[in-house]
Amino acid sequence: MLKSQRQKDFVFDSVIYVVLFIIMLTMLYPFYYVLIASFNKGSDSLLGGVYLWPRNFTLENYRVFMDDPKWVKAFLVSVLRTVSGTLLGLLLTSIVAYGLSHRDLLFSKVYFTVIVFAMYFSGGLIPYYVVLRSLGLLNSFAVYIIPSMLSTFFLLIAISFFREIPAELKESAHIDGAGELTIFFRIILPVSTPVLATMALFMGVGQWNSWLDSAYFVQSEELRTLAFRMMEVINKSNSPMDSLAVANSASAGVTSFSLQVTSMVVSIVPIICVYPFLQKYFVHGIMLGSVKG
Amino acid sequence: MELETQPKSPGTGGGRRSFLWKRFKKQKVLHLFVGLGMIYLLIFAYTPMFGILMAFKDYSISGGIKGIFTSDWVGLRYFDEFVHDYQFGKLVRNTLVLSLLKVIFAFPAPILLAIMLNEVKHMAFKRFVQTISYLPHFISWVVVVGVSYAFLSADVGVVNKALMAMGFTDEPLAFLTSPNYFWGLAVGSAVWKEMGWWTIIFLAAISGISPSLYEAAEIDGAGRLARIRYITLPGMKGTIVVVLVLTIGSILGGGLVGSNFEQAYLLGNSINNPTSEIVQTYAFRVGLSDGRFSYAAAIDLIQSVISVALIFSSNYIAKRVSGSSLF
Repeated sequence: MLKSQRQKDFVFDSVIYVVLFIIMLTMLYPFYYVLIASFNKGSDSLLGGVYLWPRNFTLENYRVFMDDPKWVKAFLVSVLRTVSGTLLGLLLTSIVAYGLSHRDLLFSKVYFTVIVFAMYFSGGLIPYYVVLRSLGLLNSFAVYIIPSMLSTFFLLIAISFFREIPAELKESAHIDGAGELTIFFRIILPVSTPVLATMALFMGVGQWNSWLDSAYFVQSEELRTLAFRMMEVINKSNSPMDSLAVANSASAGVTSFSLQVTSMVVSIVPIICVYPFLQKYFVHGIMLGSVKG
Repeated sequence: MELETQPKSPGTGGGRRSFLWKRFKKQKVLHLFVGLGMIYLLIFAYTPMFGILMAFKDYSISGGIKGIFTSDWVGLRYFDEFVHDYQFGKLVRNTLVLSLLKVIFAFPAPILLAIMLNEVKHMAFKRFVQTISYLPHFISWVVVVGVSYAFLSADVGVVNKALMAMGFTDEPLAFLTSPNYFWGLAVGSAVWKEMGWWTIIFLAAISGISPSLYEAAEIDGAGRLARIRYITLPGMKGTIVVVLVLTIGSILGGGLVGSNFEQAYLLGNSINNPTSEIVQTYAFRVGLSDGRFSYAAAIDLIQSVISVALIFSSNYIAKRVSGSSLF
């Protein structure tokens, strides 16, 4: 009786481990494949059979990528919008959330109604476009930053975090004569690392990955983001018309496919670099959001 | 606030109004902080809501914001036009099928993954699988589509090369350029991208279940499957309902299980268009590309009204059926 239970458990465990292992592989292998393809000679990759390591190792793909001012510019625009968008977004979101985290704040019911309503209803893309156009934000770098500085979702996460900070911390600062600004910058922000890190990760990744605003609101070639350029080159080769078009025939063996995977690696690597450091925070952060949001 | 130096004697002074004013003045910096946010929402969230009016008007972009109010009313003309559009049937079908398939496949996947992870006793392996599984959530749809291309395209795709090398097929399968494969492709990539992410919430729900319940069940002779069925699943019920309500509410947008728009726009092409064109991509094309603002706003509006109705009704049903709900 006991023995058969143990045998059953063994079968059960084996099935679970095998399934999880397969899931893990399907999550991991695509990233690995893109990486090796970016180090393989483009024309060689088209022949197929490159599965585990580069067959025809080359750095040519990265050289072509870095020699192309279009890609370099797009990379810089993406870095700039990610850094400035995240910093400004963090600043505005936490300032507003700090105010709203005071339970005795007058009119807080009104304020919260305004926020929750904005969370569930929106005007849709077309009216939004008209508003951005009237504000003169179209076709400017600011369109990447300003409209995305405050999101109701992050606001609610930050409020519930600030409310967990002991009130005594603020009170003693008040007694010492500190104003709200001093308290906010010198006391609240430094103890709020977990929530700031969580929001920074989400805002940063959102900014870094964003291509829709570049497609909708920007025409200038100068302002295209890395994700947008990638979308262009993927979409072009995905369309049945020119699936084998060589991106840059002047350089040896570089195809539109090898350029694609290279740009994908360039766009994934920064995320993978910050991810382990912020991971321990965001699991807690998303939980805050899911419980209170 | 608490820092009142002189005790206030109730009943004296200018009454409630001046008391409120005093409190407001004391909080003025805080109201300034919050005020920034309110102004922001007014501009970027509430002004566009008034823009919905343009769906009922003959709006021209040259009118700017003022034009929303000054242009001529046309009533339901644009709604009528959309319903009689020759593509209407296809668009509605594609939107609904894609959304439904995502709920059916992408909603249970993280629940299953969470249950399986919970049964793993090697903490290092568990943590590793978890970390890997939510990585795709942070990768953009553009990259996910690029990965699909690298794996599935007829000429460079790894899958086709492997299938042909193993003799399963003579001709490469047109995964990316055939209407037959689009729904599977969209649902599959949505599951791949978001499964691990939603697992976080379900694992949190499981961690709230008291271990003594499992011990008691084990003493009573319940096997592993029985424990999952009678303890783990009931313990997750509240969370499952909330996530389901959220999923159904955002079903048309694809919301929780991956953006329908980005998928349909990026994976769509002229050949798989019969299954890949959805209401949102169509609204985008006629709106921003063709400049038919009022028509696109009308299509947008229909969609958001349905979404709001869905979230309220699914919330109501969830409250009735299980007692848990979102709000």
